Amino acid sequence: MGVFALCFWLSAGSVPSRHAIVFCQSGQIHTLDPGKMTYLQDIRVAQGLWEGLLQYAPRTLTPIAGVAQRWTISANQRTYTFYLRSDARWSNGQKVTSHDFVFEWRRVLQPHTGSGYVFLYFHIAGAKAYFDSLAKSPQHHLPFSSVGIRAPNARTLTVTLNHPCSYFLDLMAFAPFFPLDARAMRPFKEVSHHVVSYNPIWTRPPNLVTNGPFKLVDWRFHQFLELRPNPFYDQRSQVRCALLKIVNYEDPTAAFLAYRSGVINVLGFIPSSLGPALARQERRGLRHDVHITPVFGTAFLDLNCQKGVLKNRLVRQALDMAIRRRQLVQHVVRMPEVPVRVLVPPDTITGYQSPRGLPQNVKLARQLLKKAGYPDGRGIPPLRYLVVSSSPLSARVAEAVGAMWKRELGVRIHIRSEEGKIFHQDCVHGRFDVAGEGWYGDYPDPSTWLDLFLSGNPNNVTHYSSQRYDALIHRASREVDPAARMALLHRAEAHLVDAAIPAIPLFQMSDGMIYNAKKIGGIRPNFRMMTLLKYIHRR
Amino acid sequence: MARFIISRLLQSVLVLWIVYTCTFWLLMATPGDPFVGQKQPPPAVIAALKARYGLNDPWHAYWRYPVEVLLHGDLGPTISYSNWSVADVIKNTLPVSMALGALALLIAMWMGVLAGVLGAVFKGRWPDTLLTTGSLLAISIPNFIVGSVLLIFLAVDMTVLPSGGWGTFEQLILPACTLAIAYLAVIARLARESTLDALHADYVRTARAKGNAGWRIISGHVLPNASLPLLAFLGPAAAGVLTGSFVVEKLFAVPGMGDVFVNACLDKDIPLVLGITMVYTVILIAMNILADIACAVADPRVAING
Repeated sequence: MGVFALCFWLSAGSVPSRHAIVFCQSGQIHTLDPGKMTYLQDIRVAQGLWEGLLQYAPRTLTPIAGVAQRWTISANQRTYTFYLRSDARWSNGQKVTSHDFVFEWRRVLQPHTGSGYVFLYFHIAGAKAYFDSLAKSPQHHLPFSSVGIRAPNARTLTVTLNHPCSYFLDLMAFAPFFPLDARAMRPFKEVSHHVVSYNPIWTRPPNLVTNGPFKLVDWRFHQFLELRPNPFYDQRSQVRCALLKIVNYEDPTAAFLAYRSGVINVLGFIPSSLGPALARQERRGLRHDVHITPVFGTAFLDLNCQKGVLKNRLVRQALDMAIRRRQLVQHVVRMPEVPVRVLVPPDTITGYQSPRGLPQNVKLARQLLKKAGYPDGRGIPPLRYLVVSSSPLSARVAEAVGAMWKRELGVRIHIRSEEGKIFHQDCVHGRFDVAGEGWYGDYPDPSTWLDLFLSGNPNNVTHYSSQRYDALIHRASREVDPAARMALLHRAEAHLVDAAIPAIPLFQMSDGMIYNAKKIGGIRPNFRMMTLLKYIHRR
Repeated sequence: MARFIISRLLQSVLVLWIVYTCTFWLLMATPGDPFVGQKQPPPAVIAALKARYGLNDPWHAYWRYPVEVLLHGDLGPTISYSNWSVADVIKNTLPVSMALGALALLIAMWMGVLAGVLGAVFKGRWPDTLLTTGSLLAISIPNFIVGSVLLIFLAVDMTVLPSGGWGTFEQLILPACTLAIAYLAVIARLARESTLDALHADYVRTARAKGNAGWRIISGHVLPNASLPLLAFLGPAAAGVLTGSFVVEKLFAVPGMGDVFVNACLDKDIPLVLGITMVYTVILIAMNILADIACAVADPRVAING
């Protein structure tokens, strides 16, 4: 009894008041260090705690003024000058300065910080060289002054890019570019072997100092985060939620049951096992709390272009043309996903025209296979098809695609289900023929997908390599005229989905949230899956 | 007794070292890279992270780890939760698992002993039949089924109890009951058998002949003697409820150590898996030693050979 009482007292958290909003995410918080964030759930919380130079507009998600009240872009579109608001404050009352941005951006550029999105910084002049020199030698590296980031005074920040980047302003509202309070970080500084790092306890309350709509008041590992309005936030009147509690249930079905019993107010995802049933109920008007929307993500099959029969482009094209995507979506996925033949989700990026992709044509697919030297699939060993075990949908898709290939082309597959870490390791090392993959775009530009297939990109698990394709992407990255740039990117994607086929696009993914819109306001499910916590409130 | 305890403690050090070594080798033998994910950072970042976590060190360096833990009391950083150290994770999750396990064990013990004694006293009649059938069912049905049924009826349909989470006593009832049921059944069966044995013993017949009331015989003579097998079972059972609660933790969103341990294994978070394994091993050893000591105290005839 004593053991129970002591342990319960030690571990019990606070009970949320009736006015709190309990928001359940689909995964644990991995880090509250914005420079290291890569998971959607971490980035969502970061957007409640921090504000970047820019922020997303609630309806359109276009970048609008954040800490920077205005900005100018040079004629060659390579130099951005941001002018910071004078009233921007940290949650400890101190002023937010341009030096705070420089401090954090410099920290992200250190390889040992472990930023997964550091490659986004490589648009900045000298950033890649600085990063590489640090990776080579922590002692004898290039000076930070070689990087195109300058803070001439406390309210001005100048960034010089290698080449024009049409989505650079969007990146300024993205978590890896958020600032950190340089003064508040000082007590946590640790130096070892010429490497500066910060004790991770800086991310815990009351140490964590942020400049966004909320401040972190409590964080219990594996339990919850409690966010309360930041009293120093200049748009304080827009924050109408007095207490926001972020929780996570490991089991999605248990989370849904908790939502039904009223413990959770907002379920930030659709449990996959209940997805089809909930989507059906939503369509028929039986449920009004399910909000499903197509998102900025594509499900596709990676094909190993480095070895085996899939080195042959004709075989890859045949496999692509033999898949009945509509059938797949209607009978296997059973969610409002949209069948696609392209990698970049169509009609999601202003000014970008998607290519057509290969048509479904079984007859032509058989001819292609014959031309490749494998009539009726003879001579093709069973393809090693990897799926990640945490996604039952991937396994169902694999079975359906395998059945289509066997029936139409005589190509057999061997499905192998692996845990996430093993799956990704096998993909990176090319130990597969086909792998079920999904990719969510990070910023509204085709390059967030197309860069995946560049030679040498660590995320290019297909190991596809084409000088022509690389040249098109590099030309696009240097193109100043937006229309001409989009035309080049269109040609690059057309090269992938009409001819080279390093990956077979299947469908545009959907996602959603479950909440009663009559009780909870300020949430706008959108294709970029951005839930701006700033606007959430009880009605 | 002191010799016995010292001897067991010395054995424990050897057991800990063997468990640590086996866990480490098993982790090394399993495929998967903790730093590889869907969105791959540049190779330089992965190299820097591997260096930070000592994954580039020679294999024998890992034997330094337990010594460093003893010297500095630092279990190192985790890989999956970079803002938390292994010690932080254990400090936050172990009390949760212990509170849940302790309550489950309390429920299992009191209810199990009561049911077992009733079954023995009413042997061959309906309470006994109910007990034996019920306990067989409770042992056979996995706890995720029991938990799901309780969750749907009591939390979702009737809404008399919260469906999960942590923080209030009400949130603890369903997971504790789910976890307790299988142990309750085993304890009830053990209690029934040992009570039946004790009821036929000479000292009980003597007590009856002296004219003692039935309840006084049960509480004064039968229970103390029937409790010995229960004490021997409680050690492993206590360790079992602490280390085997991850299914219940997942189902009821209890932020305990079991769930973190499973995720750490899947993420190949080597420092975290090693740290939690060590904690589990210490608990298991401690509970077994305590059970042995309790048995010796309860029955001085139990020979303890250090």
